[in-house]
Amino acid sequence: MADDDPVTVSRRGVLRTAVSVGGLAGLAACLEEEGDAPVPIGPDDLSGMPARQFAWNDVLRVDDHGNRVAPRHRVLLLLEYLGEGPPTPADRDETESALRTLERAYERSPEGLLFTVSYSPAYFDRFPDDLDDGVDLPEPEALAPFESPDPDRPDAVVHLASDRASVVLEAEEALRGSLDEANGRDVEATLDGIFRVADRRTGFVGAGLPADRQDVRGLPDSAPVPEDAPMFMGFKSDFRRNQASEDRVAIRDGPFADGTTQQLSRIRLHLDQWYEQDDRHHRVATMFCPAHAEEGFVDGVGDNLEAGGQVADRGCPERAEADARERGVVGHSQKTAAARVDGDSRLLRRDFNSTDGDRATLHFLSLQRTIADFVETREAMNGTDLASAGAVGRRTNNGILQYMTVERRGNYLLPPRSLRSLPPANP
Amino acid sequence: MHRRTLLRIGVVGAAATPLAGCLDDLFGETNRVPDRLSDPPDAVYLPTHVDDHTSPIVTETGPYGVAVMYTYPHYFWLVTGRDTRFVEIKSDHDIHLMATVWDAATGTVLPTGSLDVSIARDGETVAERSLWPMVSQRMGPHFGDNLTLDGDGTYEATITVGHPDSRLAGDLADRPGDSTSVTVDLEYAASTVDDLEFDVFDDPGQPGAAEAMAMPMLPELSAPEALSGDTLGEARLDDAAAEVVGLDEPPPGVEGTGPYLAVVLTTPYNRFPLPMASMTATVRREDDTVFDGPLVETLSPELGSHYGAIVDDLDGGDAVDVVVEAPPQIARHEGYETAFLEMDGFTVTV
Repeated sequence: MADDDPVTVSRRGVLRTAVSVGGLAGLAACLEEEGDAPVPIGPDDLSGMPARQFAWNDVLRVDDHGNRVAPRHRVLLLLEYLGEGPPTPADRDETESALRTLERAYERSPEGLLFTVSYSPAYFDRFPDDLDDGVDLPEPEALAPFESPDPDRPDAVVHLASDRASVVLEAEEALRGSLDEANGRDVEATLDGIFRVADRRTGFVGAGLPADRQDVRGLPDSAPVPEDAPMFMGFKSDFRRNQASEDRVAIRDGPFADGTTQQLSRIRLHLDQWYEQDDRHHRVATMFCPAHAEEGFVDGVGDNLEAGGQVADRGCPERAEADARERGVVGHSQKTAAARVDGDSRLLRRDFNSTDGDRATLHFLSLQRTIADFVETREAMNGTDLASAGAVGRRTNNGILQYMTVERRGNYLLPPRSLRSLPPANP
Repeated sequence: MHRRTLLRIGVVGAAATPLAGCLDDLFGETNRVPDRLSDPPDAVYLPTHVDDHTSPIVTETGPYGVAVMYTYPHYFWLVTGRDTRFVEIKSDHDIHLMATVWDAATGTVLPTGSLDVSIARDGETVAERSLWPMVSQRMGPHFGDNLTLDGDGTYEATITVGHPDSRLAGDLADRPGDSTSVTVDLEYAASTVDDLEFDVFDDPGQPGAAEAMAMPMLPELSAPEALSGDTLGEARLDDAAAEVVGLDEPPPGVEGTGPYLAVVLTTPYNRFPLPMASMTATVRREDDTVFDGPLVETLSPELGSHYGAIVDDLDGGDAVDVVVEAPPQIARHEGYETAFLEMDGFTVTV
């Protein structure tokens, strides 16, 4: 069938929106489009599962430069627990059983399914005792003078990830109670009757996916997102050297050891200006740093940056104030690199783009040992001091702040696997 | 075909060329924007055209007064460092949307900060973005960009105003820092834009500037006429007017005591503020350096937008060297894009 045969085009169109549409219809469309290659099944015996829900790195593919390749398709389910007050043991057991269903149905890998479950401060307020004080989990708040996001306070967030769109959709439908079987395994239990889905967010990350989905508000009609760009803004971003290790973000002590905290923001992107008014030089300067732009250091989407880290290596973070004053511009990486501790990033980003609501969106999801790590990194990103010091504005020429609006933000505890199902506040 | 009334736009400046000439070949085409000059002079110059805008929608949110209006799509120039990049008009652009912001209590214009717009109809977002801080000969400082809407009709425009970039002083010092939003109805029709008065200058490229628009619903947008303090000197920097002022004490809200040195940087003819530059100053007395440090961009009702610092001491005979590290990064409309870039510095003697 020719590529521009109307039936092929409409099928591609269906696949493009299937994950965001969701439901059994979206699932059916995906399955038809993806073909018959089997999805690797999970083990019967789950005793080998890692203690950390977020231990994905050991199974993610790695590119030529050692960068981990993020799973391409995502679904986030923001859930409200239907019960009043603390959860019941029966609901706890049922939830755990539903999650084990997924682990048995799909191999723990990007070819199968990767998933996590996390809980908000609002969830822990259901308990009479306070959340264990080894965990830093404040309520979400505005972190910049020009933003006022609405807080997300669902009880729980389930994050489903796979390279196969049909897998994230099928896993979601299994949890919702719409399926008797998932990947050929019986669905033993579901979240139906325990939680309701308060919000559903979807997305994608990886070369080819953003270019194929750029006909949404917030991106110009000229389709400028490069074919090989993994994200809408046209550059690679999760370089190995700019990511914290899983060890770095893990909670070390206390009952929630081997858990982590998760920050999740919904960010609208306004990229008409980025692509139609800024030029390549300005995009490189504001995404990375002015020195990178001046020296033509970044080729295309930035594959030539290999494992990343050059912004820090070249001393750009130390030059931020001087660049603000003398060049009138500072870069995003230049600012965030200043928040590192001992040269290491404090955040493990697992973010992805989206076309939810037919608008160019970023679901910025990061894991960090404490929410304070996120707050301090975000404050560095704001470059507010740089705006006061020099010619750089609050948003103008100040990294990529011009092009985004944070609409919603939530903070969550992502417990160890042993406490992932409706955990108590003080185990 | 709309016959446009010729608005006799005054011209300010050295070469006052009255509006003249036959413009009949303009009529008969809607939105006929002349091409920019291929070789504009390296100074503030008369643009190829000026136009009117819709009657401002004036509203308030938080401590801010806001006026929203629109006109024909405009080309303009964004600034990074000493370079400009030309932003062209796209064929699907419908309007150039503009918003002016001021401190409601004092009427001080606020030329920087963030101003986001989200334009919706029937609950669906049609356009949204952060408007660029910019300056034009007619409008003075404002936030703007070209937008594509979705046909004639009434839209809901939600405007979110953020705190100015600069230090706030005087009565502005205690204004809250949070951003604040307001929604207004925006009536748009292609014919409304078409009917806006639109005039072509006979003599574009001459040194000079179009006269600032009279906008009675808005506060004064030019720098205050009589600046408080003593004028220590003046200079012209790539056509920007710099006035150096000394005060005995800093405006309230600026921490510290001692003489306050301020540089008020404005456009030469209309005296509009030129924010978003970086400057430093050195005060020399014979062989000593009395002060050496940054001049911080500050806004106060008395001085307007300026760059200032507390110096330990300031005496008659002192030499004040002002160095511009980065010129004003504010975006420019036609006539302002070649000036205010190659700015190095100057010295005044107190």
